[in-house]
Amino acid sequence: MSSKEYLHIVTQDHIPVQKMRFGRVLIWGSAGIFFCLVFLQLLQQNGVADFKFSNWRPTLYAYGFWAICLCAAQVLMYGERGKRTLFVLPAVLFVISMVVFPLIFALGIAFSSWNLSSPDGRQFNGLDNVWEMWADPFYWNALKNMVWYILAIIPEYAIAFGLAILLNAQIRARKFFRVAFLMPLMLSPVAVSWMIGKSMLEIRFGPISRLARTLGWDNPSFFGSGEIARGMIMMMDAWTFIPFMMIMILAGLQAIPKELHEAAEVDGAPPWKRFWEITFPLMLPVSITAILIRIIFKLKLADIIINVTSGGPGGATDSVTSFIYREYRDRSNVGYGTFLAIVYLVIIVIFMTVLMKLADRWMKPRY
Amino acid sequence: MKVELYNQYVRSQMSRRSVLKGAASMGALAAMGGAAPAFAGGHGSVRAEIMKIPGVGMGSPGDPEWQKVGELCLGPTKERVAEGEFAGVELTFMGLNNQNLHNFLFRGFLKPWEAYTGAKINWIDLAQADYNPRLQQSIATKTVDFDIIEMGAPFEGDTAGQGLLNEMPDWVKDQIDYEDLVGYLQPPVGTWDGKAYRINIDGDCHTFCYRKDYFGEGSITGRANPPRSWQEVNQISKDVIGKMDPLTGLPAHGFLDPLKGWGGFGFYFLEDRAAPYVKHPDDPAWLFDVDTMKPRVNNPGWVQAIQDVMDLIATEGAYPADQINADPGTTGFQQFLAGTGSMLTWWGDIGSNARTSDTSVIGDVVGFGINPGSERVYNHLKGQWENTYNESPNNAYLGWGVYVTNRVNGDDKKRKAAWSAAAHIGGKDISLWTSAYPSGFQPYRNSHFNYDEWEAAGYDRAFVEDYLGSNLDSYNHPNSANEPRIPGIFQYYSVAEDELAKGFAGQYGSAQETADAIAAAWEKITDQIGRESQIKLYKASLGL
Repeated sequence: MSSKEYLHIVTQDHIPVQKMRFGRVLIWGSAGIFFCLVFLQLLQQNGVADFKFSNWRPTLYAYGFWAICLCAAQVLMYGERGKRTLFVLPAVLFVISMVVFPLIFALGIAFSSWNLSSPDGRQFNGLDNVWEMWADPFYWNALKNMVWYILAIIPEYAIAFGLAILLNAQIRARKFFRVAFLMPLMLSPVAVSWMIGKSMLEIRFGPISRLARTLGWDNPSFFGSGEIARGMIMMMDAWTFIPFMMIMILAGLQAIPKELHEAAEVDGAPPWKRFWEITFPLMLPVSITAILIRIIFKLKLADIIINVTSGGPGGATDSVTSFIYREYRDRSNVGYGTFLAIVYLVIIVIFMTVLMKLADRWMKPRY
Repeated sequence: MKVELYNQYVRSQMSRRSVLKGAASMGALAAMGGAAPAFAGGHGSVRAEIMKIPGVGMGSPGDPEWQKVGELCLGPTKERVAEGEFAGVELTFMGLNNQNLHNFLFRGFLKPWEAYTGAKINWIDLAQADYNPRLQQSIATKTVDFDIIEMGAPFEGDTAGQGLLNEMPDWVKDQIDYEDLVGYLQPPVGTWDGKAYRINIDGDCHTFCYRKDYFGEGSITGRANPPRSWQEVNQISKDVIGKMDPLTGLPAHGFLDPLKGWGGFGFYFLEDRAAPYVKHPDDPAWLFDVDTMKPRVNNPGWVQAIQDVMDLIATEGAYPADQINADPGTTGFQQFLAGTGSMLTWWGDIGSNARTSDTSVIGDVVGFGINPGSERVYNHLKGQWENTYNESPNNAYLGWGVYVTNRVNGDDKKRKAAWSAAAHIGGKDISLWTSAYPSGFQPYRNSHFNYDEWEAAGYDRAFVEDYLGSNLDSYNHPNSANEPRIPGIFQYYSVAEDELAKGFAGQYGSAQETADAIAAAWEKITDQIGRESQIKLYKASLGL
């Protein structure tokens, strides 16, 4: 152990050999119990023997016991250093239990044919789901729609930036507007879809339809054609989440030292130049963060679509998530639905990684 | 009765004055004696008594009323079960918690039963949206953890077909008067391989609703009577384009097809159109070939039904604007009830909403009948059209029932207890009460159509005859199109909705291409679930 590692240790531990041994016994003993139970339960599940287990809870309890023993053993075996490990170990175990294991199981399911109505249950089907996805026009259509939905973030960002600048300026009732502009974010997208999509945009009685008629649009139709319907979904989603970007940008704007603007003003820089040369570059890190988080939100877009258009007309508004929802929930097609979700996850991870790399490069200050 | 119907009925019909008037006339009737209505079955006094709990217009019944009804209807149980006979037995009941009814109602009904028999019931309450996944997951992962289940007949393929249910004992049939069912709920519904599993507690069907002011002398259609066929329906939809609705003064429209999916339920509305084309009286099958499970959805009859809808889509003004985004909820409640459109098919309850809903403007001009027929029918077995008039009302969804699972197998005491509990809530007398008061359930027995009993409870006779009569003809039609109770039936409907949406949006070249796409998707589902087992179960569901 190098001297550097002792820097944060208050007391020097002298762990007795017996204690070390006891720690090891705890870990391996509890692990042995865990593996024994798994083995016995697997035997019972495969009909080799009957141990009267009614469910898999014993294995779960054994796992919990092993996790506790593992944590306790850290202190027994490594003293102060073990205590430091304890700050992280439970979280690591939790993540492994709740994320890594389910993901591994999900991979197993993704390469299976598993329709909940099938009497045969889950059947491994190799790459069949891959070929099915490859030939599935509904999935590709949904992915194509997602590209449009993601692109809509660009104008959303511009609007959010504009609003943030307005709210950062010395305007009357600034506090009121700040709260008022935040209101849509506080609404559930489900409520938005009913209040706006189903009520205000209702063709016959909705106030927006009435207004459209007054303005000369005889038969207003907000979800009748694919393009308009997609646009309306984008607008409803934007209305909900622009305040989120706005508030992040506003926080960034408030952090910019006033002196910079004052100095530029003294130097005779016009407002547009001041924005483009000072505000925008300084806001780049905040902007990129807001956009990245917004993209993550957008990739999960489903609730408004499910409620308002069910993906229609003719799949024009379908998102990948709303399509997977139908495949999984309405059609109990667990295997294929899981595969689509995993593929989507991989696409998102790659997309976000590339985006963050690019963002990292962009965020290098230009000044 | 559905809660919303009851509330709307009470709100619109029962002012304080009319309640007093009704009470006074009931009192007068009682004083005169001998004027009491005839009650169905052998428990006339019980039926009359429970129909007064709490009395129409006396507020919505709650747990005390449910318990009281349950107590009064214990007679058949006491005839077959000794007091305390099921002491120590614990049963688990899985059902819904919609509108705080269903399981909550059953709890009230079964409380006196538990007190009398000594059994204890544990409850699994599920929201409607969680029901299907929970049931399917229980089946798929072999973790059925309930002894009694409230379930729709479409799931019989998933459960009875996989041997998960317990066969109904004969004494239960006697107790609930098993034969007292409207036609379409008679076996094979509720049975599998000739064995009975289901205690009915509900009924469902689609009926035809039309605007009377669109027909008759001087009407905008110029027709004396409402249409009797889909050909006429389409013609009327085209004829009224450009005319004004006589009630609202807005543009007139004909039939309201829902063109947007509704979680699988939207497909029932295409079935309404297709059934008279494809449900031949000599052939029980109409969705699949019984020997191969080859979909019939792309045969000329089905294609004609899809084409009929596409014709109206292509005819400007035939539908209200934005119809492509209208699901059945929209066509029924936002359009038809609000005075848009003149014809509609829907479940039985839309009709009574027309008379009682605050938002309805068509109460005085609405008429009901069974679904339109067709001037020709496609004989799939012969592969040709026959130019004969054919009717086939769509008994869409088969209502709720109560079933006992195979967890009670091998334990006679537990089995008897489970069936006794199920029989109690599906009893003949108790079902009259659930038909008449907010319960979430529709009438489903022939004995429910004794209008005198309803009138005696305080209902307006004209309302009741309208409300019930429109369902009765469909229920008992000899060529009705009934739900095929095969596993995954809603998967077929759901994927069909997706393909139809594409077809209606013009993404396929023709009705035939749309139908072929549905057929291909159905073939995939059949292969995934297992063709051989589907064939076997489909035959069983048709009673073949």
